[in-house]
Amino acid sequence: MAKKIAVIDNISYMYPRSENFVLDRISLDIYGGEFLGLIGPTGAGKTTLCLALNGIVPQFYGGRFYGSVQIAGLDTLHYPISKLARYVGEVFEDPETQLVATSVQNEIAFAMENLKFHREEILARIPEVLAAVRLEGTELKHPAELSGGQKQRLAIAAALAVQPDLLVLDEPTSQLDPVGAEEVFATVRELNRNLGKTIVMVSHAAEEMAEFVDRLAFLSHGRLIACGKPEEIYSDIELLTRNDLRPPQVASTFYLINQKTNCKVTDVPVRLDEGKNAIVKIAKMAEFDLSSPLPEPPKYSGSPLFSVKDLKYVYHDGTEALRNISLDICEGEYVLIIGQNGAGKSTLVKHFLHLLSPTSGTVTVAGKDLEKYTVGDLARRIGYIAQNPDYQIFNATVEEEISFALKNLEFPAEIVKERTEFSLESMGLTQFRNRHPLSLPKGDRARVVIAAILAMEPEIIIFDEPTTGQDYRGARYILDLSRQLHKMGKTVIVITHHLYLMPEYAERVIVMGKGTILMDGPIRDVYHQTELLGSTFLTPPQAVLLSQELGKLNGHLCPFLTPEELSDRVVIKERQV
Amino acid sequence: MAMMKFQTVERDSFFTKLDFRPKLLMMTVISIVAFVWENPIMEATLAILIIVSCLLVGVRWGYIRTVLLIMSPFYVILLLTHGFFNVDQVKTVLGIQQLKPMFAIPKNWWLIGGGTMSWEGFFYGINIIFKTLCLTLIIPLGIFTTEVDNMIVGMVRSRIPYKIAFIFSSTLRFFPLLFQEIQNIIEAQRLRGLAMEKMGPVKRVRVYSKVAIPLILGAMVKSQQLEVVLQSKAFSGDSDRTYIHQSILRWLDWVLIVFFLVFFVVSLVLYIWFGIGRFFSPV
Repeated sequence: MAKKIAVIDNISYMYPRSENFVLDRISLDIYGGEFLGLIGPTGAGKTTLCLALNGIVPQFYGGRFYGSVQIAGLDTLHYPISKLARYVGEVFEDPETQLVATSVQNEIAFAMENLKFHREEILARIPEVLAAVRLEGTELKHPAELSGGQKQRLAIAAALAVQPDLLVLDEPTSQLDPVGAEEVFATVRELNRNLGKTIVMVSHAAEEMAEFVDRLAFLSHGRLIACGKPEEIYSDIELLTRNDLRPPQVASTFYLINQKTNCKVTDVPVRLDEGKNAIVKIAKMAEFDLSSPLPEPPKYSGSPLFSVKDLKYVYHDGTEALRNISLDICEGEYVLIIGQNGAGKSTLVKHFLHLLSPTSGTVTVAGKDLEKYTVGDLARRIGYIAQNPDYQIFNATVEEEISFALKNLEFPAEIVKERTEFSLESMGLTQFRNRHPLSLPKGDRARVVIAAILAMEPEIIIFDEPTTGQDYRGARYILDLSRQLHKMGKTVIVITHHLYLMPEYAERVIVMGKGTILMDGPIRDVYHQTELLGSTFLTPPQAVLLSQELGKLNGHLCPFLTPEELSDRVVIKERQV
Repeated sequence: MAMMKFQTVERDSFFTKLDFRPKLLMMTVISIVAFVWENPIMEATLAILIIVSCLLVGVRWGYIRTVLLIMSPFYVILLLTHGFFNVDQVKTVLGIQQLKPMFAIPKNWWLIGGGTMSWEGFFYGINIIFKTLCLTLIIPLGIFTTEVDNMIVGMVRSRIPYKIAFIFSSTLRFFPLLFQEIQNIIEAQRLRGLAMEKMGPVKRVRVYSKVAIPLILGAMVKSQQLEVVLQSKAFSGDSDRTYIHQSILRWLDWVLIVFFLVFFVVSLVLYIWFGIGRFFSPV
């Protein structure tokens, strides 16, 4: 049996000025060489538990702490954080704030210098850890010159450099695009499998966690409610659903097949390969109802609301960010724009918002060149919800926030009042009208911003990466609001990397890559262009990949998008799988 | 997109190879001497020497020109205020009863009629202008020619507490982030229909002040995150740590240190005992 690296013994913790335990009687052992995943909804206590592993909780924050945590035999209450840092390396969520130095080599050296490692030893370790995270040759670069994925790998390298017994990663991929997330997961897996590093990782990426971790600890409301292998935890769909956690789509699919047919898949698979094997077994004994129609996206006609013709944009430094972009978006559409960082999504949207002007080509809104709109006119037509809603909050009450732009644009008082009331009511904010917007939870703050934008009665609403950094419940909450706006007749444009969330919402998908449109079509068509998506490092939802596997087996087109669609059409014969 | 980055000179010269400590001494000595001197010719000579040195070591002329352009309105104001109004101080410094007029404004001019610009006041203004130029341009001469790493180690070796050196380097690290955040917030305001360019100055200031709310809140969140990050990296702020970058004084560094120490002492001796460097009017 592997040696215990960390022993968490019945710990409970309450932050200062708080009345609730954020950790509640948790006991957990972490073994040398294992890859432990920590999962749970926002507020479950995952980050606090990570911070308890190196003594920051409670030594830095204070508060009430019960029980004990031992790292490499050291009680975290009895040793200073600076000593514990020698044994626990931490990597945090935000790639920007956790890099403190002005060059890659300084970043790696920083903790070693604080721990008084000899200069020669520091210089020897820098190339070693850079090689371990595949960042060789970047020693003299400024961290700002690195991509998001590279920044997180640098943070991992910096943590690894002190050769800690335990490497703790708290949602290291949540702010990254798919390429960056894949880089980080691949790096962490290599460190665990090839170098035997003990890893604790928090992530909402259920598919990747199922694939890579040895064991999962499931936290909810500060309690450890389950601990076991991924196949044990992720196959318990009811437990996950009860706790607002998303299972891998493979598991959801086979769970639903079990629910909807009288024949049971004995072991619900949680990894894609296992799912593909299970589909093969099912295909041998099942029939598929491919005749029942799938929902078709509505057809939009008429003159386009947004029209982009031969758009090209070149930055001042000569970087060609957009080329040959032509597209029309009609009134009432729900459009999803996907692509890697640097694909041109944000640059395109900045043209929609007239934050940038085309180098060549035209962008028109309702037939009028965007250049001819004033800022006020544009705000009346297009609403924009930034990734961080806090950037858009400036006022002391929810009501003032909603009426802020109306007053600035000098609308008559009765219109300001009428529209403010309508927005408060539509977004369910009437009860919060006198609250400070920043005193509300993040999801509700987004709702305040949406209400403020709704008050302007725009025809088009753009959501810029609304799901980044959100857990499943938070992401669904914002997307449900987008659907509500769509039902009110608004044209909705969403940018996100989370493809698995969108089939219930989007009708049309625009895939961007290297500054151009790679594909533009109905979501069902685009999601099943898996090779094209793969070429730009976008991973289709597992339900799409399983459907394609099914299609290969039975020779029919299976253009399903969700576990529900796929499981609805499986008709199992009377045999056990 | 262009990245905001700390400015360093591209030219490799003996000056860029110097340790930061002689440069720190140079900045301190020149600043004190420029502050003490009042002689317009000596101040001008010092300022011109600094500008020439800046250009020789690779500070871009564009940067110096920008400084001059930004400062020029202040220089005009300095000249006018000293020339017209700094009468008593100049008389006391020179020990004279009457100033030589350069020109006078006709008495019938509204508000400013009757004012007299004096030669002595004019030259006192020139002295102040070159004094500020010396103080402004000695900074890029020392800072732009040094890598941040060497600056930090040089500061620590000069007995400046590591905490202060760290604050200095973190400012360089996080300034681009802060700048980006300000841009994002201003864009967010614009997208809510606030056309700054069409606002009057009062309204514009009021709207800009609102940028501070999300900016301060964001900075507070980030600073707490940063504190946690620093704790996890065993940061204590104590100077008793190791450094990968070395700060070694070579013979050229010693030459410069000795030169600036001698220059400092000689300048003060000449100023105090022989009055060299005190204000005088060439006309």
